[in-house]
Amino acid sequence: MSEFLQYFPHALTVTNIITLILGTIGGLILGATPGLSPTMAVALLVPFTFHMNAATGLILLGAVYTSTVAGGAISAILINIPGAPANIATLLDGHPMAKQGKSQAALYICFISSLIGGLFGMVIMVFFTPPLAEIALEFGASEMFWIAIFGITVMAGLSSGSILKGLIGGMFGLLISTIGYSPLLGVPRFVFLDVLTGGVAIVPALIGLFAIPQVFSLVETLGSHIEAPDYKPKRGVLLRTLIENLKMVKALSIGSIAGTIIGVIPGAGGQVAGLIAYDQTRKFSKHPESFGTGNPEGVAAAESANNAMVGPSLIPLLTLSVPGSPTAAVLLGGLLIHGLFPGPDLFLNNADVTYTFIASLVLGQFAMCVFGIAMSRYSYMVMNVPNLHMIAAVTILAVFGTYSVQNSFDDVIVMFALGTLMYVGRKFGFSPAPVVLGIILGPIAENNYLKGKLIAETDVGMFAYFFTGTINNIIILLCAASIAYSVYGEIRAHRKAASKEKQP
Amino acid sequence: MIKDILVSSLVLVGTLSLYISLQWAEEPRAVIFPKVVLMIMAVLSALLLVQSLLIKKAATQGKQKPFPFQRALLCFLMIVAYLFIMESVGFYLSSFLFFVAISFILGRGDMDIRKALTRVGVSVIFMAVLFVLFNKLLLVQTPKGFLF
Repeated sequence: MSEFLQYFPHALTVTNIITLILGTIGGLILGATPGLSPTMAVALLVPFTFHMNAATGLILLGAVYTSTVAGGAISAILINIPGAPANIATLLDGHPMAKQGKSQAALYICFISSLIGGLFGMVIMVFFTPPLAEIALEFGASEMFWIAIFGITVMAGLSSGSILKGLIGGMFGLLISTIGYSPLLGVPRFVFLDVLTGGVAIVPALIGLFAIPQVFSLVETLGSHIEAPDYKPKRGVLLRTLIENLKMVKALSIGSIAGTIIGVIPGAGGQVAGLIAYDQTRKFSKHPESFGTGNPEGVAAAESANNAMVGPSLIPLLTLSVPGSPTAAVLLGGLLIHGLFPGPDLFLNNADVTYTFIASLVLGQFAMCVFGIAMSRYSYMVMNVPNLHMIAAVTILAVFGTYSVQNSFDDVIVMFALGTLMYVGRKFGFSPAPVVLGIILGPIAENNYLKGKLIAETDVGMFAYFFTGTINNIIILLCAASIAYSVYGEIRAHRKAASKEKQP
Repeated sequence: MIKDILVSSLVLVGTLSLYISLQWAEEPRAVIFPKVVLMIMAVLSALLLVQSLLIKKAATQGKQKPFPFQRALLCFLMIVAYLFIMESVGFYLSSFLFFVAISFILGRGDMDIRKALTRVGVSVIFMAVLFVLFNKLLLVQTPKGFLF
């Protein structure tokens, strides 16, 4: 805590504050724009941070990460399309409120509740991250190898309807990470074309896998019409809503606590946090029947939960390199291109950058609330941006962002090829998040596997080195539990679908 | 289901081919890790193949929207052309041409004089903002052409 307070003023420099505000405004706009996912927004921004110092770059990414989640609620409330999966629970009561002419109040409740939940989650993160990072000091090569595998199993289960496809995607990412020269022996592998000589860097992979499939998806939806939202701002609503919102103690408490607990569990994500908080608030309510018809408590519970999740979701990321969501996986890429490696090193050798980043996340919650409320009266405008312009703009920014990191046209070709492949992969039920995580965690997995193999061969043998020891066994059990949970979910979904089919 | 059979077979054949190609690696120790990954991928794709052959998936409810293949292919070709001309024409000019081409070719079904002027105007403003921000203020390098 003392380090957090010591470095807090670093987040208050003019450059960092301007970056925070621009990131927040940009994140709110991107989050509110239907068709642009928050993960893609953060992925597109990663290369631009390369030209900034590490702290400022991370502040920008953190601000966008925080505000896209809240911004996604705008389209959920106004046009019944969640801007991000985390906003699914928001639309259950948010859109009925909008239909009743209470869009303004719904949006204000969304931003105020997001601030309360977000601050709660951030406090938990500030207290628990540094001590947990110290546990990682105990990790050797075998533990680090299993941590990389755990990250991939988590993401495989989270982002794909099929665990097998998720795991194949993760393995494909690991394979892509081995393209180029071997890090330990300097021998080329899978260099079938000249453009692959330098291997596949993180930024082209991130941008290609997230942005290019989005471009083609926008092409698919060209011509579809979004109903214009009915939104007429009135005076005096803010104060009235603020008082009403602060009285929703039960909904805000359930949302903040549920969001925080679910945020810490890698892979659970904001979507689960919002839905669980919504469900629990309804169960504890005196009027559960009013949920789904425009109850403001539903919006407060969902939004406080999905923002409370943001801080805790960074705990496994910053301590163990295990991201809690696809957007956090992209954020991990942002850390790595600035030479920052999750774990104790982040808090001991890069304390200034890390704590400045954490402080900016706390400040970002206030910025998100203030600018969210201020911009809500203009928010409907972003929903009118034609898909044609977004297709061109996203493609140009993807090309520009990829080229600007290493001034390499080969990177642009790799980015486009990977993106096109991912678009085809999506048609077959594959998801980009496990692939990205495989590419990011590939070098960690390979280096620690080879190091571990060398140690094992001169010492206790492969099985004893990789499969015994308390920490190894705990992580292996977590990997197995993560896969088992996904398999259980799939079986349950299959049975449900089969029983529905049997019904006349 | 047919999709899953197709994709799992493709992945299986691909991983086995890559595994075989590694037999001729210069240094066997450098390909230990890729070999392990390929073996796991082969097992996973075989499991997916078995799963898709054994488990009958519930039929998709309702009529699915037809896939706009022609539009997607057109967009793909325009991006390829954009990348192809970028190194000779330069980033800013090729990007402007790409923006205009996307707006006019993909949006040709919904066009009048006012919309055409708006689309060109948006392209000019977008590229001007990028040029000032990145070329003049942040001094970020982009592929140079005969104009910029």
